[in-house]
Amino acid sequence: MSERIQQRNHEREQRLAHVWGNLPGWGALAAVNHTTVGLRFIATGLVFFLVGGLLAMLIRTQLALPEQDIIESALYNQLFTMHGTVMMFLFAIPVLEGLAMYLIPKMIGTRDLVFPRLSALGYFCYLFGGLIVLSSLVLEVAPDAGWFMYTPLSSATYSPGPGSDFWLLGITFVEISAISAGVELVVSILRTRANGMSLNRMPIFCWYILAMALMIVFGFPPLILGSVLLELERAAGFVFFATAGGGDPLLWQHLFWLFGHPEVYIIFLPAAGIVSTLIPVFARHPLVGYRWIVLSIITMGFISFGLWVHHMFTVGIPHLAQAFFSVASMLVAIPTGIQIFAWLATLWYGKVVFRLPMLWILGFLVVFVCGGLTGVMLALAPFNWQVHDTHFVVAHMHYVLVGGMLFPLVAGLYYWLPHVSGRMPSDSLGRWGFWLFFGGFNLTFLLMHLTGLLGMPRRIYTYEAGLGWEWLNLVSSIGGFIMAIGVAVVIVDIVLHFRFGQRAEQNPWGADTLEWAIPMPVNTYNFSSLPEISTRHPMWNAPELVESIAAGEHGLADVQALRRDIYGSDATTGKVREVVHLPTNSWLPLMTALALAVLCISLLVKAYLLAVVFTVMALVLSLRWSWENGAHPRAAPTDDNEPGAPPLHSRTCNGPGLWGMVVSLMADGTFFVSLLFGWFYLWTAAPEWTLPDHSPIQLVPMIFSGLLLTAAVGVFWVLVRGLRRRRATHLGPGMWLVAALGAGHWALLAGQLMSAPLAPTERAHDAVLTVILFYLLLHSGLAVIFTLLQAVRVRLGYTAARLPYEPIVIQPFWFYTLGVYWLSLLAFLLLPNAWSVG
Amino acid sequence: MAGLGIPVLLSGCGGELSVLAPAGPNAQASAWLWWGMFGWFTAVLVVVVALWLFALKRTPGNAPDAHIRKGQSRWIIWGGLVLPVSTIAVVLAFGLPAGQGMLPQEAADAKVLKIEVTAHQWWWEVNYPDSDISLKNEVHIPAGKPVDLHLTSADVIHSFWVPRLGGKLDAIPGHTNILRLHADEAGTYRGQCAEFCGREHAHMAFTVTAHDASGYQQWTEQEGRDE
Amino acid sequence: MKFSPFHPIHLVLGLVIWAAWFVFLYGGLSVGCAIAPPASEEQAGTWINGAIVAIALLVGGYLLWCAYRCMHASSDPKLQKDDRLKVFISKTAAAVYLVSAFASLALAVPGLVLPPCV
Repeated sequence: MSERIQQRNHEREQRLAHVWGNLPGWGALAAVNHTTVGLRFIATGLVFFLVGGLLAMLIRTQLALPEQDIIESALYNQLFTMHGTVMMFLFAIPVLEGLAMYLIPKMIGTRDLVFPRLSALGYFCYLFGGLIVLSSLVLEVAPDAGWFMYTPLSSATYSPGPGSDFWLLGITFVEISAISAGVELVVSILRTRANGMSLNRMPIFCWYILAMALMIVFGFPPLILGSVLLELERAAGFVFFATAGGGDPLLWQHLFWLFGHPEVYIIFLPAAGIVSTLIPVFARHPLVGYRWIVLSIITMGFISFGLWVHHMFTVGIPHLAQAFFSVASMLVAIPTGIQIFAWLATLWYGKVVFRLPMLWILGFLVVFVCGGLTGVMLALAPFNWQVHDTHFVVAHMHYVLVGGMLFPLVAGLYYWLPHVSGRMPSDSLGRWGFWLFFGGFNLTFLLMHLTGLLGMPRRIYTYEAGLGWEWLNLVSSIGGFIMAIGVAVVIVDIVLHFRFGQRAEQNPWGADTLEWAIPMPVNTYNFSSLPEISTRHPMWNAPELVESIAAGEHGLADVQALRRDIYGSDATTGKVREVVHLPTNSWLPLMTALALAVLCISLLVKAYLLAVVFTVMALVLSLRWSWENGAHPRAAPTDDNEPGAPPLHSRTCNGPGLWGMVVSLMADGTFFVSLLFGWFYLWTAAPEWTLPDHSPIQLVPMIFSGLLLTAAVGVFWVLVRGLRRRRATHLGPGMWLVAALGAGHWALLAGQLMSAPLAPTERAHDAVLTVILFYLLLHSGLAVIFTLLQAVRVRLGYTAARLPYEPIVIQPFWFYTLGVYWLSLLAFLLLPNAWSVG
Repeated sequence: MAGLGIPVLLSGCGGELSVLAPAGPNAQASAWLWWGMFGWFTAVLVVVVALWLFALKRTPGNAPDAHIRKGQSRWIIWGGLVLPVSTIAVVLAFGLPAGQGMLPQEAADAKVLKIEVTAHQWWWEVNYPDSDISLKNEVHIPAGKPVDLHLTSADVIHSFWVPRLGGKLDAIPGHTNILRLHADEAGTYRGQCAEFCGREHAHMAFTVTAHDASGYQQWTEQEGRDE
Repeated sequence: MKFSPFHPIHLVLGLVIWAAWFVFLYGGLSVGCAIAPPASEEQAGTWINGAIVAIALLVGGYLLWCAYRCMHASSDPKLQKDDRLKVFISKTAAAVYLVSAFASLALAVPGLVLPPCV
C-alpha cells in the first residue's frame, strides 16, 4: 500500500517540478523563480565584492608609504570613487536583496515571490547596470568625483569627461532593480504568508526585511531624482545645482544624504535580521524580547530618515538645526541597544552550541558595537567638525558597514549553505578564514581612528612624511592584505564544500524556521504542500511538518491547470483569502532589461534619437508583459473546476496587484515630494534664486486641463465602484470615455509645455517647472494607455463583472495622477504667483 | 577602540595636524569631548563584549519561568534603554554648550577681526578687508583673541581646516560661511583642505601664523607697505 | 484615533507623526529664521524657541495619550486568550507611541539652550 502512495506522491511532485521548473539550457535566462534569481543576485554581488576589494587593495598599496607615486591622483580618485560605489550599490544592497528574495518565500511557507517576472527584471537591470558602471573602469573613464558625487565637482564644468554620466545613469539603472525588489518583498511578506502566520507569528527575519524593503521604497527615490536632475544639468544645461541662475550645490547634498543615510540602515537591518535569526538557533532558546525587537526595527526604520544632515554638519547649517539632527542620530542608539541586549539575554538564558556561524556573529558584535559607539561620537556636532572627512570617519564607517553587514552576511552564508548545496561547510578552514579576516580587519581600521585624529583627511592620494601618519598607514595596509587573505580562505572553503562537504541532514542546525522544512538541496517549488502555521517556531513545536508537507497533506498539494499557484493571505491575520496564480518562465524581463540597457548606453554616448527609440521599445515590452496578466487565459488558465473558495486572485477586488500598485506609488510619491522639497529648498535657500515677473505657464488652460483630468478620474471611479459590486454596465464605453477625457487633458498639458517660454538653462525656476511638466505628462500618458488597454480587454472578456481585478489595480494610479496634478498646480504655479503679487 | 589607548600613549598625540594637540579653546573643547567619550565608550565596549563572552560560556540554571522572564526584561530595560538614554543625555549636556561656544557670536566684546578666504582649485586666496592685504595659502592672525574667517569658494566645494585650532567649515560657491578661529599662543599651525575637491586635493595645504600683539602689529604694517 | 486600537496602522502611526513633526521643525526653523530672525541677544529666549517647546509638548502629549489608549486596550479583560494577535499589535503600538513621544520631546531639548539662527 505504502508503495502505491509513495508512487502517487512522487508523480505529484514531478508535476510540481515540471510546472515550477526553469526552462532547460539557454532557457535558464527566462527563469523567474525566486530561488534561481536570489542565488544569481548573491553570486553576482559576491563577484562585485571581489572587484571592490581589489580596488581597496590598490588604494592601500598607494597609501602604504608616504609620497609614493605608484598610482597618480587622477587614477586614485577613480579608484576610491569606484570602491565606494561598487561596495554600496553593486555589492551590499543587491546581495542582501538576493538573500531576502531567496529566503522570504521559504520562511513564510510559500513557493515564490508575488511578482516573479519583476524579480527577473530586477536582476537583469542590476547586472547590466553594474556592468555599465564597471566598464567605465576598463575604458579608463571611471567617475572620479567620489561616490557621493558632490556638485559642482561632478558637474560638466569640473568633470567634463563621461565618468559622472556613467555613475548617474548606471546607478539609476541599478536602483530600478532595488526598488522593484523592495516593492515585491513588501507585498510578498504582507500578502502571501502561510495560512495562520499572523503578524505576531512572523519569523523575526521577515520583520527586518519588511522594514528594509519599505525603506528602499522611500529611500531610493530622492537619489533617483537627484541623479536625474544632475544628469539633466550635465547633458542639457538645466540649472539645478549651479549657483548662477538660482540653483544650489547643497540641494544635491540634501537629496544624496536623504537617500544615503537610510541606505546604511537598509544594509544594516537585514544583516541584523540574520543575527536575530541565528542567535536563537545556536542558543537553543527563543529570541528574548520579540516584541521589543519589532519595536526597534520599526523605530530604526523611521528614525534613520531623520539623520541625513549629520553628514552635512560642516556646510554651515544653524547650530540648532544641527542639534536636532544630533539628537535624532543619537536616538538611534536606543533601538540598537535594545537589540544588542536582547541578543545578549538570548545567549544568557540559552545553552549555546558554538558552531562556525556563531564565530562570525561574535565578530559582528565586537566590530559593530565599536562602530556604533564611534557613531555616537560623530553625531555630536562639535566633535564632528574636527574629524569629519578624516580617516576617523573612514574607520568608523568600515566598522559599521563591515561589522554591521559583512560579518553577519558571512555568518548567514555559512548558515544557509547546506540549504543550497545539501552539504556542510568545513569547520577548520572556516575558522582560519574568520581569524585572518577579523584580525586583518582590526589591524587595518582600528588604528585608522588614530590616523584620522592625527589629521589625515580622506580621499588624498598621498601624504608627506613627518606628520605621524607613516607607521599607521603601513600597519593599515598590512592589515588590509591579511584581510584579503582571509576573504580568499573563505572563498576556497565555500567552493571546496560544494565538492567535499559532508552531506547535511535535514535541519542541520536545529533551526525553528520553515525554510528548513524543505528537502535539501532546495527544489524549485519549495513546499510540496503549503502548511498551516500555529506557532512562531514551527520547526521546534511541530517538527513533523517535514513529513506531512512532503506527503502532500497540506494546501495546494497538486498542480491545477498547469498554473503556478500559491496562497494569498490576510496582511494581519495570515488567514488564506485567495489563490494567487503566478506567471511562469518569461523572456520579457530579459528583453525589457536589454532595451533599458541600450537606452542607458545611448544616453551615455549622447545618441538621443536612439534613446527615444529604446524608451518606446521598453515601454512596449512592459505593456506586452502586462498583457499576460490578471484574467488573461494564459495567466490564469482554468480547467472546469475553477476553485470557488478561496477564489483565484484575478477574480477578487483586493489582490496582490493592488498592493503592488500602492507600494509603487509610495516610491513615486516620494520622488514627487523630493522634487517639491527641491523646489522649496531652492526658493528659500539658493543664493541667486529668482521668480520671473510673469509665470511662463498660462493658468487658464492648466485649470481646464485639470478639469478634464478630474472628469476622467470621476468616470473611472464610477466604473470601478460598479465593478466592486460586480456590475459592469457600460464598462467598455466607459473605459473609452475615460481614455478620451484623459487624452484631451494630456494634449492640453503637452500644448502648454510646447508653447510656454521656459528657459530651463537660464533659470532654476524654469528648470524645475519643465521637470514637473514632464512628470505630469508621463503619468497622465501612462494612465491613458493603461485605460485604453482595459477597454480592449473588456471587449476580449478579460475584464468583466466576474473579473474586476485589473481596473481596481489601475484606479490608484489615476487617483495619484489627479492628486499630483492639482498639488503641482498649487505649489508650482499658484504659490509663486501669489508670492509675486503679494 | 580598546586597543587604541596604548599606541596613542606610545606615539604621543603630537603632530602638526593633530586634533589631539589643541592650541586654542575650540580645539581644546573638541579634544576634551573626545577623551571623555573615548573613556566612557571604551568601558561600555569592554563590558558588553565581556558579558557576551560570558553568556556564551554560561550554563543556564533551572530558574522558574517567571524569574527568567523578569530577568530578560531587566536586560533589555537597563541595557537597551537606560544605558543609551543616560549616555546620550550626558554627551549632549556637555556637547551642546561646547559646540555653541565655538560659533561666531556677535560678541559683546571688541570687534572681531574679519578675514576673507576664497578657495580655488587648489589654493587659498586670503584677503584682509580692513587693510587691503592679500595672501596666498597663508593666513596671519593675532594670538589670544578670536578671528572670523568668511569662507567661500570660486569653483567647487572645499573645506577649511586647521586641526590644532578648531573644527572645519566648508567653503561653498555662492555661500559665505563664518568660521571662528582662536589660537592661544603665537606659532605656525598647518591647515589642509578637508573636502575632496579634485586632482590636487591632497596638496591643498596652507598655514595659519599666529602672532603676539606686537608681532601682529608689525606684520600688518610690513605687509601694508609691500602692497 | 479613528482606527480600532488593534489596527496594525498603529504600529507606524506614532512614528509617522514624529516624522511630520521633524520635517515641520527643520523646515519651520529655516523659514522662521528667513522671515523673522530674532535678535541675537535674546539667546535661547526667542519666539522660535518658545514655539518649538510648545509644539513639542503638544505633539508629545498627544502621542502619550495614544500610547495610553493602546495600552489600555491591550489589557481589556474582554480579550479572549486566542486574541494574542490583538494583544501583540496593541502592546507594540503602545510602545511605538511611547518611543515617538519620547523622540518628539527629545528633539526639542536643544531648543531649550541654543539660540535658533546662528
